[in-house]
Amino acid sequence: MASKHVGLFVLFQLLALNVVSQTSAFPTPTPASADDKTVYNRQLTEERPLQEQIAEADSVKAAVQSAESEQNHDDFTMLKSLAEGPKSKETTEVPAKKRDDQYIPDESDSTKSRRLAEDYDSTKNGMDYGKYQDDPESFRQIDGTPLTADAIVQKIANKIYEEDDRGVFDRIVSKLLKLGLITENQADTLEYKVAEALQDLITKNAKNNEIEDVDQEARGAQDDEDSDTNADTWEPPRRRYEEDEDEEDDEIEDEVDRDAEEDGDNIWDRDAEDGNEVSPEDGLQDLQYFPNFYRLLKSLNSEQDTQERETLITIMKTLIDFVKMMVKYGTITPEEGVSYLENLDAMIAMQTKNKLGKPLLPPEFTGPNEKNLDEDDNTKAEAAKMQKEYENLKDSTKEEQPSAETNRPGKSETYLEAIRKNIEWLKKHNKEEGKDDYDLSKLKDFMDQQVDSYIEKGIIAKDEGDTIKRIYSSL
Amino acid sequence: MKHFLAVVFGAALVTLVSAAGTDGAISFEYHRYEELRKALVSVWLQCPTITRIYTIGESFEGRELLVLEMSDNPGTHEPGEPEFKYIANMHGNEAVGRELLIYLAQYLCNQYQQGNETIIDLIHNTRIHLMPSMNPDGFEKAASQVKKQHPGEIKDWFVGRSNAQGVDLNRNFPDLDRIIYINEREGGANNHLLQNMKKAVDENTKLAPETKAVIHWIMDIPFVLSANLHGGDVVANYPYDETRTGSTHEYSASPDDVMFKSLARAYSMYNPVMSDPHRAPCRKNDDDSSFKDGITNGGAWYSVPGGMQDFNYLSSNCFEITLELSCDKFPNEETLKSYWEQNRNSLVNYIEQVHRGVKGFVRDLQGNPISNATVSVEGIDHDITTAKDGDYWRLLAPGNYKVAASAPGYLTVIKKVAVPYSPATRVDFELESLMERKEEEREELMDWWKMMSETLNF
Repeated sequence: MASKHVGLFVLFQLLALNVVSQTSAFPTPTPASADDKTVYNRQLTEERPLQEQIAEADSVKAAVQSAESEQNHDDFTMLKSLAEGPKSKETTEVPAKKRDDQYIPDESDSTKSRRLAEDYDSTKNGMDYGKYQDDPESFRQIDGTPLTADAIVQKIANKIYEEDDRGVFDRIVSKLLKLGLITENQADTLEYKVAEALQDLITKNAKNNEIEDVDQEARGAQDDEDSDTNADTWEPPRRRYEEDEDEEDDEIEDEVDRDAEEDGDNIWDRDAEDGNEVSPEDGLQDLQYFPNFYRLLKSLNSEQDTQERETLITIMKTLIDFVKMMVKYGTITPEEGVSYLENLDAMIAMQTKNKLGKPLLPPEFTGPNEKNLDEDDNTKAEAAKMQKEYENLKDSTKEEQPSAETNRPGKSETYLEAIRKNIEWLKKHNKEEGKDDYDLSKLKDFMDQQVDSYIEKGIIAKDEGDTIKRIYSSL
Repeated sequence: MKHFLAVVFGAALVTLVSAAGTDGAISFEYHRYEELRKALVSVWLQCPTITRIYTIGESFEGRELLVLEMSDNPGTHEPGEPEFKYIANMHGNEAVGRELLIYLAQYLCNQYQQGNETIIDLIHNTRIHLMPSMNPDGFEKAASQVKKQHPGEIKDWFVGRSNAQGVDLNRNFPDLDRIIYINEREGGANNHLLQNMKKAVDENTKLAPETKAVIHWIMDIPFVLSANLHGGDVVANYPYDETRTGSTHEYSASPDDVMFKSLARAYSMYNPVMSDPHRAPCRKNDDDSSFKDGITNGGAWYSVPGGMQDFNYLSSNCFEITLELSCDKFPNEETLKSYWEQNRNSLVNYIEQVHRGVKGFVRDLQGNPISNATVSVEGIDHDITTAKDGDYWRLLAPGNYKVAASAPGYLTVIKKVAVPYSPATRVDFELESLMERKEEEREELMDWWKMMSETLNF
């Protein structure tokens, strides 16, 4: 028992160290969105030095990348030479499209950068990224170094593994076949070899990479596949790959959000399968795991709500990414991450019900949301979001406070508080009695009258009366 | 046995009230005039459908004598709904009552909104008037001087007690006790003794503006039950305050002595300090021999002429008692919360006492209300009158009574009633006017004459 405790203690120490050294995990935004970056960084002061660490890691990885690609260049030269000319164009089509598609979200979705996701997503290492990037070039290496067949196989296997997308293989092979570069036989062999390589990759990663598993599990809440990947072999991925392939082929004019999903995370691909039929709501598949949030979004169907919808979606995704990053870098355990995300949805439901009375957002929602983008405390983010929504519902009662404060702070606050309690009670009371919403205009008129008569009788001072009238007229 | 039952009933009530209540929203501090005003306005803003603020006039220095009214239909007397009032701080330096009424207003509003059924029922069935300060000028004096000194010093015993003119408001009311004592001996009215009230009041130069305002108020609204909050001791004091023989201490019972004792006990029993039989007197040499179960007859304690309590009983239908709530007249602010704790249940329970005895309407045979009809109870030498809608409320202790309703030009009707502790028993009267009876008799006579003439053939 004692040893177990010691063991746990040691493990905890390691984790703590891990946490301390890797509390970064926060995606650094692309230069294109400098504003957000500064805001981000402001929130994450303690992580800034770690970002530098990450930057270092980046450069290291990049160095490795280039080293590897140099080697790969050799291996691929053969293929490259074969694939010169028209081939190159075609072979680059799909991957290029993918890459382009993947790049687009970076500019518009400033809270995420593809580079980051690629870099810090442990299921894709820089090498693979480089490989992926090289894919279009794999058949026409820039450096001109040739690639061996094994390297090709390895590359494809890695690509499939990181993309969780068997379609990669199919695409490549079909292209090769089409161009007559390989025979069917060779295609079969290739497939066999790639399958082997992939299997090795899976088993190897299952053993070696603790964090990776953790990461998988974190997303596993939403994506059982990843955890399954380690256990299963082809089947689940194959199924998904095919569907994904279809999807990806269709997504030439994808919405930004949808692409953002495809871009970074395997998990979202998995969700994409489920959300296939909801193509108008591309990018929301993942959010299906947040039924309440999803409902909230659904309620924003009108045209003018598009902005809010998009903002909401962005925020949600940011939060989710952040949680994933935190899990990945060990800041929180995967269970915590999962439970947080679950709680998030529950909290959305509750806050929506409590504060808004119905799951609709007020028109002024965009404003506070944009601020909320920058909150690193996610529980606060949601709560603050809901709080702001509620306060926006009350509109200028919030605005009233500053102006009234110039006169008599304590009193107007008390009055405001009292009025608020009355409105709350009226709402609740009318609900309980099954009446329609209380008639605000009647109440306003009544209160105005009363206030006037009270001023006349010397019960209320003129400025107090004005304050009260103002508060009521702003409701 | 009755006592035991009352205690049990009371205990249940306490549990109900305390279980339902949280005083989290009340902030326990002293309120100067502005703060008092704001506090009342805040209660009104929070509960505008069940409250109304009004003023019955101005103090000598121009401060409004503010009243917060609470009922389901503020501003209106609903026929059959009894009127109740609390008045505090008529002695400006007796500050606890003033604060308690502010806290009570906040409490009732909060509890109403939180769904406390006892409070909701109370507010729906009573019209409650709260006047935290009858002497705001005196309070300002007392409050400013207390700040400079240590509380408990003898100086604060008097500063701020009287109004700005130096008038002790609780000696300023027309002394109707003397008149009643004469009438007891020589015969005369046993109620509503201030004849030509309005004229008498307006032309009386000795009356302070605060006193006048309250008298007008009493004449305007048909109050049924009331209490007047003081400080300097801890007891519930009931009429009569002035001794019959003029001596300094003498038990001076009113015709409703039984009922008054019951009312005073209804307050004291929920105040743990007041009802503590082993409570030491507030000051070493105090004579509290007249205190029993936390109550005392006024005259038995010490004679008070011209007090507001007796004025209520003798000039109107209103039964009023005097509540002394603290040994210290102007205690430390930190103690206010505990005073609230001691008095909250009593304050609520006392309001509930208004729903006792018999009540109803006096109408004529056509159903029209008869206002100012007299309702008398056999064996109790104190009558009450009906209000504008013919409605009346006669507080009575449990027992069997004969209740009579009479009005000039009408034939008196007597009814037998068995009265429980509570709630009030509804007894309506339909009075036949004398004219109607004459008419009836004439008709009867005519019929008889007709019959006779037919029979006898003339």
